[in-house]
Amino acid sequence: MLGDSGLSGKSVIVTGGSRGIGRAIVQAFAAEGAAVTFLYRADRAAADEVAAQIQACGQSAFGEQADVRDPAACAAVVERTVARHGRIDVLVNNSAVIRDNLLPWLEPADVGAVLETNVTGVFNITRAVVPHMITQRSGKIVNISSVAAEMAGRGQTNYAASKGAVNAFTKALAVELAPRKITVNAVAPGLIETTMSKPIRDAAGEQALARILLRRYGQPIEVAYAVVFLASRFADYITGQIIYVDGGFKME
Amino acid sequence: MPVAISKEEIQAVYPQVARVIAEALARDPAEVRLSSRLFADLEAESIDLLDMVFRLEREFKIQIPRGRIVEDARGDLPQAQFETAGVLTEAGLARLREYLSEVPAQSFRPHMNLADVPTLFTVETMCKMVIRAMRAGGA
Repeated sequence: MLGDSGLSGKSVIVTGGSRGIGRAIVQAFAAEGAAVTFLYRADRAAADEVAAQIQACGQSAFGEQADVRDPAACAAVVERTVARHGRIDVLVNNSAVIRDNLLPWLEPADVGAVLETNVTGVFNITRAVVPHMITQRSGKIVNISSVAAEMAGRGQTNYAASKGAVNAFTKALAVELAPRKITVNAVAPGLIETTMSKPIRDAAGEQALARILLRRYGQPIEVAYAVVFLASRFADYITGQIIYVDGGFKME
Repeated sequence: MPVAISKEEIQAVYPQVARVIAEALARDPAEVRLSSRLFADLEAESIDLLDMVFRLEREFKIQIPRGRIVEDARGDLPQAQFETAGVLTEAGLARLREYLSEVPAQSFRPHMNLADVPTLFTVETMCKMVIRAMRAGGA
């Protein structure tokens, strides 16, 4: 009924694309016919698997090993992507790490690792992409936040602070880029069945499920649908928003 | 002192610079004259200035470091004598007026904010920016 998302042939960059939610996002964009470039930090085997799977379906995905904490590496990936596809239509800032612990036990390194990847990493890749979107006069940026930004569990001060920063970044950048019709939004997943959230789900068990209105954990693809929507032509009039994909987390 | 920029050098890059500026502003190239003020005449916003710089960097294969014009204008004048809390001093304003010789004198207002300096820029300012960056790249 709605028809074409308009994403076919679009050049999309996804960070943290080899596993978890990022992998589902890469697959969803590829299924829409986009040319996806995804970044991964370390897991070469997982990245190769994602790319091979997608290419076997006749779709387009290209893995780039790069650490988002490294601004030069981010700039290089963006330049190579532009060389391959001529432009960048969509950026999804997905890569994130978690180092949960109660505050007194959080080592400075745990705080640094989380803020550097989840916040500085977003700055690094976005700074490299935005000049291209500005000159194109178009573009869509989707940042992956978390319900933890608003409703964190115990031991998540660093992670919650990082995702709160992502929300603030999203709204501030939406203001800056609006004159060029570039939209900036965030998707805030709740508890999704990934390796990263496994320790939390294991520790919280039934208690966590009781906080979710829909009484189940989310699937990575359910987050990806929201991301694809925000990057599609259906969301041209949405900017500066945080969309929760959390099954109704703590609404009761 | 840096080598002066000749009229011929400016004329050599002007057509290309004007075309790029017109593209960045989505304007008719005929509206973009050497003396046009980017903000007052061509209705540029700050994001347009970024757009122009990105396009010029690509077009001329140059690097235009952020804040370069202000740094160059300050020259050997110590920062504290150039500006206080983001406001240009009298000496700072004099340096800027000298450096941006293409900008009409009455455009420079006392106690100007450093952040407002780009509102003074004309198309010729961008030509000079490109020429300086090309010289720096070739050095």
